[in-house]
Amino acid sequence: MPIAALPPMLPLDPRQVAVLRVRGIANAAALLVAAGIAEVALFANDIPSGIVAGLALIVAAWLILLAPRRAWQRWSHAFTTQELHVASGWLTQVHTIVPVARVQHIDLAQGPVERRYGVATLVLHTAGTDHSRVTVPGLARADAESIRDTIRARLTPGPT
Amino acid sequence: MTPDAPPATPRRLDPRSVALMAVRKLPSMVFGIPLIATMSATGRVWLVVLALAAAIVSLGALWLRWRSFTYAIGADDITITQGILTTNRRSIPLDRIQDVSIERRPLARLFGVATVRLETGAGETDEGVLDAVSLAEAERIRALIRSPRTATATPDIAQPAPERTIFAMDARRLAQMGAFGFSLVWLAAIGAAVQALGNFFDYDRDQIERTIGAAPDIAAHWMSLLTVAATLLAVLIAGVIAGFVRTVLTQYGFRLTLADGRFRRIRGLLTRTEVVVGIARIQLALVERGIVSGRLGWASLRFQTLGGSNDAGGRQDMAPFARPPEIAAIVTAAGLPAFDPQPLRPVAPGHVLRSALTHAGLPLVAILAAGIVFPPALFGLLLLPIPVGAALLARRHHRYVLVGDSLQVAHGVLAQCEWTVPRDAVQAVTLSRTWLQRRLDLVTVRVDTAGARGLHRPDVVDIAPAAAARLAADLIVTKMKWETERDSDVASVHAPLTEPTDERTFS
Repeated sequence: MPIAALPPMLPLDPRQVAVLRVRGIANAAALLVAAGIAEVALFANDIPSGIVAGLALIVAAWLILLAPRRAWQRWSHAFTTQELHVASGWLTQVHTIVPVARVQHIDLAQGPVERRYGVATLVLHTAGTDHSRVTVPGLARADAESIRDTIRARLTPGPT
Repeated sequence: MTPDAPPATPRRLDPRSVALMAVRKLPSMVFGIPLIATMSATGRVWLVVLALAAAIVSLGALWLRWRSFTYAIGADDITITQGILTTNRRSIPLDRIQDVSIERRPLARLFGVATVRLETGAGETDEGVLDAVSLAEAERIRALIRSPRTATATPDIAQPAPERTIFAMDARRLAQMGAFGFSLVWLAAIGAAVQALGNFFDYDRDQIERTIGAAPDIAAHWMSLLTVAATLLAVLIAGVIAGFVRTVLTQYGFRLTLADGRFRRIRGLLTRTEVVVGIARIQLALVERGIVSGRLGWASLRFQTLGGSNDAGGRQDMAPFARPPEIAAIVTAAGLPAFDPQPLRPVAPGHVLRSALTHAGLPLVAILAAGIVFPPALFGLLLLPIPVGAALLARRHHRYVLVGDSLQVAHGVLAQCEWTVPRDAVQAVTLSRTWLQRRLDLVTVRVDTAGARGLHRPDVVDIAPAAAARLAADLIVTKMKWETERDSDVASVHAPLTEPTDERTFS
């Protein structure tokens, strides 16, 4: 339920789900390997085998199949040329507003997986303390670049 | 960094700083001697030779370090070069320096030198430390950095600007503050010390019991009561004295002056510190009232500045113990609006329910769980009205308003805080809602400012979503101000702290 009087929020790029899924697969693989080792170590015990591996399989399936989409849904953003809005969070929902005039500098980050799917992470740095780094993951590369260019143009007014 | 700057002559630290360092290192060397003694059981002569050699080597190292440490104040920056084998050259642009503080610890005062600290916006505390230079040189450095850039061509100490004393604490005020300096931390420390002496009291009681003989039970009873009472009283008195002494040590001779846009604060009995706070660097004002002293009309004032502070809490103490008119005078001198309790609005009524639930909910569950195992624990339920009552009072004291160009927030029932945050100092605004807040339709508005440290923040907790959105929108409308003041001095407060090169990477 969005708070009224704030600009309409846009979802992240749908391709971010794939990026999150790749990360989920990596985490699930690590979890399954650890569970496999635990199974081997517990083999000699009286505990019926398969409990640890079974639990790990359930968590891994959740990490790969369900979690990426849910994580993607929790994020939203809006750019109004005056300020950037980012909302995220599950139990505690956080909506951060960064006025463009307060941005110290901007980073555009792209990992190998993000590059493969054509998305990018925008990082705004302010002089503040708690939110000196505000990140927006999973923007389409073109969108992220246009936001960056707009903010940059306002950082250095006029040709110098 | 600035190749066109005129070359400034590099200077070394005061030669006396070598002696100062040697004296500072003396304790560790003294502790080193027994180590050498245990290792070389051959004879006393060797011990003396070794100790002498160690002393000469460390003195030589100190001298080398002194020789290799130079600083030069140019037109635009100060360059600090240090390092014996690998030379480290650091250049700090003068307009990035937020505060210049001159510190004189007892030992340094003995040697007639002072430590100069240059604080910049970066988080590091030891960015530029000149340890130590002569007092005259320290004054010269401060005058150079404080003076407008045009004055650097003739780097003689500029004619001292007329300084106006804004606030000072005389002996009487110091004594009054010391009386409230009593703190539970000191009490705990002293209590632990008393505990260690416990055996002493036990011995006394046994002695007395034996001598009285006839009524040992009564005597023991009364004596133990007496000892407990006496111990408590002694701890209390010791706590008061310790708090008093600590206050006198840190706040002695407190003096706040104002000259050309900069506050200068001098205080301290043994360690004399001098801190300069530029008005343009001030981010917000915080007035705090203690539980007891606040009821008697005393308050303290702190400014949060870019680059933080070495004071407790990360904010500059501007007036540690003052009356409201004195605080108002400092706040006005800093160009901030006075805190006005009249237009303040309370937060949403749901705040009462939520603070009651968050403060009393967990104890309630704990008491009920304990009650199942041990029924008398249910008497603990009688204590529950305390957090509930606190929650009821909390809403009366948590108020906020955005008036003119500043956000004003008050909170705290017993110890009270009043924040004044200029809109220009707001770096980002965050609306956050926990699971419970969503159920109660409440929003917490967090205001992010520069230079803060610790958990103490000017947050507006629990207001209605519509009010939160309006407050956030009002807080971030800064565009026009920013653009019109871009070239003025005030704008430099919010101008990029980072190096200009960071911006150039994008173009």
